[in-house]
Amino acid sequence: MLAVESLQNAELFTLTYGAIVRQLLTDFEDVDEVNKQLDTMGYHIGIRLIDDFLSKSNVTRCTEFKETAEVIAKVGFKMFLGVTATVANWDADGTECSLILDDNPLVDYVELPETCQGLYYCNVLCGVIRGALEMVSMRTEVKWVRDVLHGDDTFEMRLKLLKQVPEEYPYKDDE
Amino acid sequence: MIACVAVVGQQNNPLFIESFTEGEDELKFHYIVHCSLDVIQEKVSNPKKTGSAMNETFLGLLYPTEDYKVYGYLTNTRVKFLLVTTDQDVRDIDVRNFFRRFHAAYVDAVSNPFHVPGKRIISKAFTERVGAIVKSFGAPTT
Repeated sequence: MLAVESLQNAELFTLTYGAIVRQLLTDFEDVDEVNKQLDTMGYHIGIRLIDDFLSKSNVTRCTEFKETAEVIAKVGFKMFLGVTATVANWDADGTECSLILDDNPLVDYVELPETCQGLYYCNVLCGVIRGALEMVSMRTEVKWVRDVLHGDDTFEMRLKLLKQVPEEYPYKDDE
Repeated sequence: MIACVAVVGQQNNPLFIESFTEGEDELKFHYIVHCSLDVIQEKVSNPKKTGSAMNETFLGLLYPTEDYKVYGYLTNTRVKFLLVTTDQDVRDIDVRNFFRRFHAAYVDAVSNPFHVPGKRIISKAFTERVGAIVKSFGAPTT
């Protein structure tokens, strides 16, 4: 019963997101501008979503970036999109990795027309991750490297940690 | 053997038409589909005459010609699906199944946010799915 309900909610979500993208294309007419707008929208969602996520998921503090990526992929995506992602392609420093989504509910039924081939339809997800991580003191860069709507076989985001901003305490230790 | 399938919109505007026989004149199918629309109009405006329920989607055999049979299906949004077949012995259940799957493919195609309702369906995925449904039409089911 719950599965059926969530399926119907998912359809509404997919259709709503599609309507947003369409409206942005009508308003801005430029595909690059729409990509930026989607990222900004995602950022605003992310900075608020992180609190919701942390309160509901009960994850402990991550000790390193690798753990953070895993938590996003397995817990975060599962909680909000209902699908899990896989983390792969770590670089030597452990500061850059790929998040691979085999199943993406945002793009059900979507086919990009010829006029919008440069559009990163799911760019909002990049913004969400970037915004959420910024709220926990990590400055990151997130972008798409593979996109099913562009003909690739899966969705792949490249997540790069730029800077870990250490938390500043408002008071000094006495000793 | 399915010769042609068509999707016609509310204002009788063609949204999708695809023929599956080589060498046949495509214009002929356009003409057949057009004539069938009149039959649908008649069936819709005379529900008592046909004896079927008001909200019946499957319209049945519309227009038997020498070579072809035309079946119709009307959705609640007044979008019509038409099936032109060359088979002589077509089972009712097969046609109903066909339209059911065709309807599902149509719904997925119009759920595309880039599809403009009332305009032609340009989705490649829809064309492929329709091709697959057509291929499996009339295949013996267990």
